[in-house]
Amino acid sequence: MKTHIARTQSAGHLLSIQDLSISYRTKRGKLQAVYKASFEIGRGESVAIIGESGCGKTTLATSIVNMLPLNASITEGRILFNTRIGKELSLENASEKHLRTIRWSEIVMMFQTSQSSFNPVSRIESQFLDTVRAHNPNSSREMIFEKSRKLLEMVYLDGEKVLSSYPHELSGGMKQRTMIALALLLDPQLVILDEPTTALDLITQKKILELLNSLRSSLGFSMMFITHDLGIVTQLADRVVTMYAGSIVEDAPSKEFFEYQVHPYGKGLLHAVPKLDAAFEELYSIPGTTPDLVEKIEGCLFAPRCPYALDRCTKEVPRLLNIDSKRKVACHVFGKKHDGHKEGTV
Amino acid sequence: MECWIRESVRKEVEKVQNRTQTQATLHNLTKRSRLSRNLKKIRRALMQDLVGTMGLVILLLIILMSTLGPIWFPLDEVSDPEKILMAPSAEHFLGTDHLGRDIWAQIVSGGRELLVLAFLTASIAVLIGIFLGAFSALIGGKLDETLVFLADVWLTIPRFPLLVVLSGFFRLSAVALAIVLAILSWAGLFRTIRAEVLSLKTRDFVEVAFMLDMPMVHIIFKEILPNMMGFIAANFTLLMRAAIYAQVGLVFLGLLPLDQNWGVMINVAWNQGVIYNPDSIWFLLAPTIVICLLILSLVWISRSLEEIFNPGLQK
Amino acid sequence: MIVRKDFLLFILKKLGKVIFTVWVVTTLIFFLIRLMPSNPIQQYIQNLVVQYGVTYEEASSRASTLFSMDLEASLLSQYLTYMQDAIRLDFGTSFLSPGVEVTSIIAARLPWTLFTVGSGLLLSFIVGTVLGAVAAYRRESWYEPIISGTSSFLSAIPDFLIAIFLILFFGVFTWGGRGSIVPIFQLRGNFSPGVTPGWNMPFISSVLDHAFLPILTYFFSQIGIWVILMKGSTAGCLNADYATIARARGLKPRKILGSYIGRNAMLPIVTEFAMRLGFIIGGSLIIEQLFVYQGVGLELLKATNNRDYPLMQAIFLVMTVAIVLSNLLAEILYGVLDPRIRAKGGRKGAK
Repeated sequence: MKTHIARTQSAGHLLSIQDLSISYRTKRGKLQAVYKASFEIGRGESVAIIGESGCGKTTLATSIVNMLPLNASITEGRILFNTRIGKELSLENASEKHLRTIRWSEIVMMFQTSQSSFNPVSRIESQFLDTVRAHNPNSSREMIFEKSRKLLEMVYLDGEKVLSSYPHELSGGMKQRTMIALALLLDPQLVILDEPTTALDLITQKKILELLNSLRSSLGFSMMFITHDLGIVTQLADRVVTMYAGSIVEDAPSKEFFEYQVHPYGKGLLHAVPKLDAAFEELYSIPGTTPDLVEKIEGCLFAPRCPYALDRCTKEVPRLLNIDSKRKVACHVFGKKHDGHKEGTV
Repeated sequence: MECWIRESVRKEVEKVQNRTQTQATLHNLTKRSRLSRNLKKIRRALMQDLVGTMGLVILLLIILMSTLGPIWFPLDEVSDPEKILMAPSAEHFLGTDHLGRDIWAQIVSGGRELLVLAFLTASIAVLIGIFLGAFSALIGGKLDETLVFLADVWLTIPRFPLLVVLSGFFRLSAVALAIVLAILSWAGLFRTIRAEVLSLKTRDFVEVAFMLDMPMVHIIFKEILPNMMGFIAANFTLLMRAAIYAQVGLVFLGLLPLDQNWGVMINVAWNQGVIYNPDSIWFLLAPTIVICLLILSLVWISRSLEEIFNPGLQK
Repeated sequence: MIVRKDFLLFILKKLGKVIFTVWVVTTLIFFLIRLMPSNPIQQYIQNLVVQYGVTYEEASSRASTLFSMDLEASLLSQYLTYMQDAIRLDFGTSFLSPGVEVTSIIAARLPWTLFTVGSGLLLSFIVGTVLGAVAAYRRESWYEPIISGTSSFLSAIPDFLIAIFLILFFGVFTWGGRGSIVPIFQLRGNFSPGVTPGWNMPFISSVLDHAFLPILTYFFSQIGIWVILMKGSTAGCLNADYATIARARGLKPRKILGSYIGRNAMLPIVTEFAMRLGFIIGGSLIIEQLFVYQGVGLELLKATNNRDYPLMQAIFLVMTVAIVLSNLLAEILYGVLDPRIRAKGGRKGAK
C-alpha cells in the first residue's frame, strides 16, 4: 500500500511551490485561477490534489511544467524543483528551452489520456523513440526498445505487440497503461497525473491504481495527482491537499484527513460522498455555488457557503498555517493553533 | 447502466406523449415561437457578425436594384450608332455598348433572370437531395447501397463539360437549364445530406420517433430537418453559386440563348473586342464586378448562417 | 501479414469499381450522344440531298463510308462495335477533319491542357498549403485575417471572372502609357506564330509567355481553397491531444511540427490534391476559350459545336477516366498515409 521510499540523498523537498498565483486574461476581465498556493512534495511522496471542477487544480499542475494556455500567466510566487544532479531550479520563469530538458526527463505531466493521446499515424515504438531521442540524441535504438519492452511488461502489456502497433489498434485501457510506461521511460523524479482514472471502467481503474502503487514502490518516484474522486485518494495518496476556488484550504496526511477534516469545505466534501444505501432524499450537497473568479471578493472565498463563518471571514483572507506538525489549514475559525483563540468549537 | 438508458428514453417518450396530448394549442404555440425564435436568432447573429451583415446588405441591394431598377432605368431599345462605345459620362454612368445603348440600364436589368434561376436551381436541387438523401439514409438496406453506388459513379462525370455537351445539342431555355442543372447536381447533395441524416439518425429523439411509429415524412420534416438547417443553408448558397457559374459560363460560350443577363453582357463585350478599347471597358468590367459581388454576398451569408446554426464551430 | 492482405483486397475492390464506372460512363456517353437530336450524319445526308441533289441512298452510303458508321445496323450492334473498338483504344476518326484519328487530336491537345492546368494546380497547392499552415500557426498575428479573407474571397469568384480581371490588369491597362505588362498577342494561343516548335529557346520562351496568364488564372482560382483547407486541418491538429502531449514530452518544436502535426494535417490535403488532378481537365473549358488556348477544353467546345461525335465522345471519356483514376489514386493514397483506414479496409464514415 502506501510506503515511503526515502532516498539516500538529501532529504530536501523535491518540489516546493511558494505563494503561487496564476490568472487568466478573459473577455470579462482577469480571472484569478490560483491564489497564493503553497505546498511541498517530498521525494517518494504521493500527494493528491482534490477539489471541485474549476478550483484551479489543473491550472496549478500545468503551471509546474509551464504548459499553461496562452492567456494564462503566473503573476507571483515560485516553483522550486531539485533536479537529479542536485541543482535547485526556479521553474516559474525558466526558458522554454530549459524547460524542454526538464519535461518528461525529470517531471512528467500526464494529461488525461484520451483517444488521441498518441500520434495516430505513427507506431508506438517511434513515439517512444522520439521521446528518448529528444533528450538523449545518441542513445541506441536497441537500448531504447529494450527498456520500453521492460516497462510495458511492468504494466502487464505485451511489449513487442504494443510497440509495433498503431494507436488505434489499442484499447482505452491499453493506451492508458502504455502512457504510464512511456511516462517512466526517462526515470522521472516526479509524475503529475491529471484525473488518471476518469473514463475508465471500474475494473481497469483498480488495475491502474494497483499498478501505480507497485511502480512507485519499485521505482521510487514522487507522484502528484489531481482528482475529484475521493475513492482513489485513499488508495494512492500519502497526503491530501484540498483546493477551493483557487486557494489551498487544507493540507494533511491522507489517513488523518479521512479520519477527521478541519476545514469546513473538506468536511462538506466528505459529507457529500453518497453512501450505497442512502435514499435519494438523503444525498447531501454543500449549499451555494462556487464563486465567480473574475469578481474581486473580499475575505475567505468559502465564507458565503460556510455554516461557521464569522464576520472576520468576509474581510480577511485566511492564511494557510500549521495547526500541528503534519496538517495545515487556512481558516479563521478552525485554523488557529496555540495563539490564544479557542480551537473551533461547534 | 441498462436502467439508466431506459430512463432517458422513457423520459423522452413521456415528453413526446405529453406533447401530442395537448397538440392543438401547444403545437401552434411552439410552431410560432420556434419560427420567431429562429428569426430572432438570425437577426441577432447577423448584427454581431459584420461579414454576414455586409453580405446580406449587398445581396439585398442587388435584389432591390434588379427588381426596381428597370423601372427607373429602362433599357435603351433602339440602338444609336452615334453613341457607340462611349466612355462613362453624366448621362451614361457606365458608358455605352457597341450598339450605343446605356450600360447601366443593362446592369440593372441583367440580374433578375440570374437571381431567379439561381434560386430555382438551388431549391429544386435541395429538395431532390433531401428526399433522396434522407429517405435513403433512413430506409437503408439494398436501396441505400444501390443509391450510394450510383452516386459515386455519377460523381465521376464532370458536370460542366456535360452541360456544355447537352447545351450544344438541345436549345435549352433558362428554366430548362435550371432544372437540368439541379438534376445533374443530385449526387453531391445526396451524399452530404445522407451523411448528416445518418449521424442524426442515431440520436435519441429520432429513435424515439421511430419507436412511436411516426410516419416517415413527419420524422424527416419535424425531427431531422430542423437540426440540419445550417447545413442546408450552406449547401443552398453553394448551389446558387454553381448555378450562376453555369449560366454565365454557358452564355459566355454562346451555348445559352439568353436575352438580358450579365453573362450575355460579358459574352457580347468580349466578342466585340472591348478589351482593345479602353473607353468602353465598363461594358466588360461592370457585369464582371457585379457578378463577383453577388457571389461574395452569398458566400458571406452562408458562412454566417453556418455559424448561427452550428455555434460550436472552431474559429 | 494480415495487414498486407487487407490492403490488397482494398485495392482490388477499388479497381473493380473503377472498371465498372468507366464502362458505365462509356455506355452512357455513347447512348447520350446517339440519342440526341440533330444527328450530324443526318445533317450531312440532308446537305447532300438538298444542296447537291444527290439521292438519299447515295448520300446514305457516302455518309456511312465517310463516318465509318453502319447506319443500317441497329443501335445495339453499333454499340458493340463501338465497345470493341474502344477497348483497342480506337476511337475512330474525327468528322470535322476526316481521316484524322481522334486519338491523335487528343494526343496533340492534351499535353497543353495538362501543362497549364497542372502547373496552376501545383503552384497553388504549394503556396496555398504554406500560407494555410502559417495562418493556422500565427492566428493571432495581424496578417492572418488578410490571408484568410483574401483566400475566401478568391475561392468564391468563378475562374473565368478571375481570368477577365487578369487580362484587363496585365493585358489591357496601359501603365502610364508605357503599354500593358503582357503584350496583346500573348493573350491568345499556345505560342506565337512564326516560332518553330521544338526544344529551342524561342519556342520555350514563347510557350511560357503565352501560358503565363492561363497558369496565373488557375493559380488564383485555386489557391484560396488550399489555404482554407490547410488552415483548418492544421488548426485542428494544433489543438489535438497528441500535440500537447508531445510538447509535454520535451520534443523539439520542429519535430512536433513535422512528424506529429504536419503528417496529420497533410493527410486530407494530399488526398484532396490527388482528387483534383482529375477534375482540372474538365475545368479548362472556359479558360481555354478566353485565351484561345489550344487545349483539350477548347477542342471539346469545337467538337460540340460541330457535332463531331467521335471527338466529343473521346474527350468526354478522357475527362471522366481522369477523374475516376484520380479518385482511385486519392483513395489509395489515403490508405497508404493513414493506418487507420487500412485497418478498416475502406473509407471511414459516410462522407
